Amino acid sequence: MTRAFIHTAVPLLAAMLVAGRAAAQQIDPRLERLDAATRPAVLALVDSARRDLLPTEPLVQRALEGATKRASGDVIVAAVRRLAVDLGHARQALGSTASPAELSAGAAALHAGASQTTLAELRHVRGEPLIVPLAVLADLVASGVPVDSAAAAVLSLARRARDADLVEFRRAVERDIALGAPPAAATAAAATAQSVDVNAGARQQRPGRP
Amino acid sequence: MFDPVDDLIERIARHLQRPVQIDPALDGRVMREITALPTPGGATALGRAWRWLRRRHQLTLTPLGGLAAAAALAVVVFLSRMDRTPSPAPRAESRAFQFVLVAPRATRISLVGDFNDWDATRTPMRRAGSEALWTAVVPLAPGRYHYAFLVDGSRWLADPSAPVARDEDYGAPSSVVTVGAGGGDS
Repeated sequence: MTRAFIHTAVPLLAAMLVAGRAAAQQIDPRLERLDAATRPAVLALVDSARRDLLPTEPLVQRALEGATKRASGDVIVAAVRRLAVDLGHARQALGSTASPAELSAGAAALHAGASQTTLAELRHVRGEPLIVPLAVLADLVASGVPVDSAAAAVLSLARRARDADLVEFRRAVERDIALGAPPAAATAAAATAQSVDVNAGARQQRPGRP
Repeated sequence: MFDPVDDLIERIARHLQRPVQIDPALDGRVMREITALPTPGGATALGRAWRWLRRRHQLTLTPLGGLAAAAALAVVVFLSRMDRTPSPAPRAESRAFQFVLVAPRATRISLVGDFNDWDATRTPMRRAGSEALWTAVVPLAPGRYHYAFLVDGSRWLADPSAPVARDEDYGAPSSVVTVGAGGGDS
């Protein structure tokens, strides 16, 4: 019996294992847009992220963005690697239950300069999905708001504000900055105004427009 | 009556009826030649594998062997599931987003971003109303997306009405759109 098992079943099981792995590791055809030298490095990063159960789609998109913008291979690989690291840190801060969209927004916030502690606090204070608070945090920092001011304001508002309120807050800050207000002062003013009427419920949901 | 022809035939027949002496090593030589001939499936490992695959095998298993086989199968299924990329949000959650750009002198504009694989051919923008206004509508699931406008195939433009994407890597400007799970879009 043992000999029959070794000669028949073991090769079949080995073939199944190999076929299963091969099917799972099919190369994403979109990455064929990368040049031959860049593709293996990006594939390795994507595979590594997949093994770590991180979302791989943001990495693929980051690589494709670089290819479309004609960035060099080294720059593309560095950008994808940095994003993979940020996604890993975002998951550490937001927990294993974070959705791919939350991890992506969290990675953007970390890249902007927010700390993992801020992300963890956001997770703690807000029961709803964190996509918008994290994105608002990253957007504010990109607008020139000091990261500490942005983090404090978003954390303060995130306890009670709806996603639409946070978006309105960000618009108010950007509007004031465009009018000449210092970013930190604009953030503090908008946060104060927002906290006054954040639960007024009078705002209509904005039409879908960036 | 003596017939010389009959005598000749008789002598030939006698000669043919004599036992033939065969080399005792002939059988061995013949079998060696046959063994050396190429077989239809090839004598290579591939050929042997092919013959093994076509041959019937009888497999008997102990319950323990059966459990081991089932466990191996479960491992295959687990590995293939584990390697799957986390799937994007269901399309049912997607909402239509309109992107607008004012570009009076442009002849063609593409909307390019995370939502269309940064493929400049996928989402061409169309003139809407006035000659200067270009629009495109894209369904977006909750998430944060980078995007930009590609004007006349060579010039990258960020969306002046959207947050700028912080990007030190690629140089060309991009913007960000965020779609909230609960309707807060920016």
